Amino acid sequence: MNNIIEVKHLTKKFKLIKKNNGLKNFFAPEYKTITAVDKISFNIKKGERVAFIGPNGAGKSTTIKMLSSILYPSSGNALVNGLVPWDNRKKLAYTIGTVFGQRSQLWYNLPVQDSFALMGKIYDLDEIPFKRRLSKLVKLFEIRDLLEHPTRSLSLGQRMRCEIVASLLHKPQILFLDEPTIGLDVTAKEVIRNLIKKQAFEEETTLLLTSHDTDDMEKVCERVIVINKGKIIFDDSISALRDSYLNKKYIEVTTEGGEKIRTVVNTKEKPAKQAIDELVQKYHVTDMTIENPPMEEIIKEIYNRE
Amino acid sequence: MAAKFINLCKLFLFIQKSNIKTAFLNKSDALINIIMMTINNLSFVFMWWIIFENKGSINGWHFGEMALLFAVTNNAYATFALFARGIQLLPEYIENGNLDNFLTTPKSSLFLISTSESTFANWGDYITGFLMYFLSGYVNWTSFGLMLLCSFFAFVLLYSFRLIMSCLAFIISDSQRLGDNIFMALITFASQPASIFTGWYKILFLTVIPAGLLSLYPVNIIKEFTWRDFGILTTGIIIFLLLSLKFYNWCLKHYSSGNRFGVR
Repeated sequence: MNNIIEVKHLTKKFKLIKKNNGLKNFFAPEYKTITAVDKISFNIKKGERVAFIGPNGAGKSTTIKMLSSILYPSSGNALVNGLVPWDNRKKLAYTIGTVFGQRSQLWYNLPVQDSFALMGKIYDLDEIPFKRRLSKLVKLFEIRDLLEHPTRSLSLGQRMRCEIVASLLHKPQILFLDEPTIGLDVTAKEVIRNLIKKQAFEEETTLLLTSHDTDDMEKVCERVIVINKGKIIFDDSISALRDSYLNKKYIEVTTEGGEKIRTVVNTKEKPAKQAIDELVQKYHVTDMTIENPPMEEIIKEIYNRE
Repeated sequence: MAAKFINLCKLFLFIQKSNIKTAFLNKSDALINIIMMTINNLSFVFMWWIIFENKGSINGWHFGEMALLFAVTNNAYATFALFARGIQLLPEYIENGNLDNFLTTPKSSLFLISTSESTFANWGDYITGFLMYFLSGYVNWTSFGLMLLCSFFAFVLLYSFRLIMSCLAFIISDSQRLGDNIFMALITFASQPASIFTGWYKILFLTVIPAGLLSLYPVNIIKEFTWRDFGILTTGIIIFLLLSLKFYNWCLKHYSSGNRFGVR
């Protein structure tokens, strides 16, 4: 299989004004340089579903923004679908889709279907193929009931489904998803993950998904790149990460008396089910939460092993 | 090339249709806004009419010249506000990262940003503009054609100047108000009889705040066409347009994007 994304020594530095009080800083500001992405290199094959994970400020979004032609890099090279993104912005746009969880590409006051029609025109889609495509996506993402509603009246989960449909209308070969589940509740997150995976599988879309939620990567992707402080610290399959670093579960139970008991289970030594059974037998449990280790802990673990 | 242009025209019409649809969500509101905008403009015109009635002329300018000035500036501003007002929101798009949405589409980001906002009430400026032309006393087919051409040139200048002001947000954070104030200064300068600016003021009036290109030259051209005035006007406008486009493209290379939560 050929690489659809090739990244070599990609670097992005931001110049920020140092915050000082006084007029001197106004006339002759002092700058500091922050390296958001530091000489990263990786390749992604056609149809691969890759998670790009890391804590806040790790450089995930900056990388995606460079690959989707939003930002110019400070140095390094990248080829997306054979094109240098920042030199071929318009040409590249026909082959990629972008979803930013933190903002909307839909028009705030327009009904969702009008936003889709507008996107169709922006991507020069002919009337009949556009309608056929939209009908397919509407069915897949179950948004028929939302089409006549203006974007402003949608819930975050509903909006995200519509955002993904909008980004898929022109049938992109690559889909960049930047924190697509941010702010969603557990059920909505699950729906979005399933839909993204189903769509990518059906159309062999290459996915690059950033998230600081490890569940996103486990449910949707097959490969994971972990980035921290602008550098890649892990690049392997999800199963490799799971075996090495995601073998802990945090279980917290609330007893009848309101006491909270937290325990960490190594699933390599003891299955999570067995640990839960033991807790239920030992206490009168009224509530329970099970979580993966937080991102920060996985990163700490990766560094420790290095 | 031709197909691309046709597609862009189709998109422009579609966006305008959507804007009208949005404005007409509340029909009575939309119409009242147009009427109020016209009344607001005419009250300003009325003030100048009283001044000219009492003074006769200001440095050679009579009410007729003033009416031509209002025709050009109102039509230019109406075109800007109805079809390109989004450029005024560029600082906001930069600050909250919404500019990203425009940069990932296959169309010109500037075109999409410009058409992203429209103020329906500014149809009232067209009403004022055409009314003022017919009240100017310089009505004939030639002057009508020149008035339309000069209004378009004035729109291009307004747009270019506003683009430069909006691009400041790439460099200076929180510069929305600064840009708004300088843009309003241009419109205020352009709404005065051009004959009051002489000496150094005139140089300032034609360069840094290029109000003269909005008022003095269009009025002169409509009244009495000369190739010299026409050459100065077109050269000045082309310089401003090219400068603004160059500046925008330079700024895009230095765009750092943001991540503020929100919707378009």
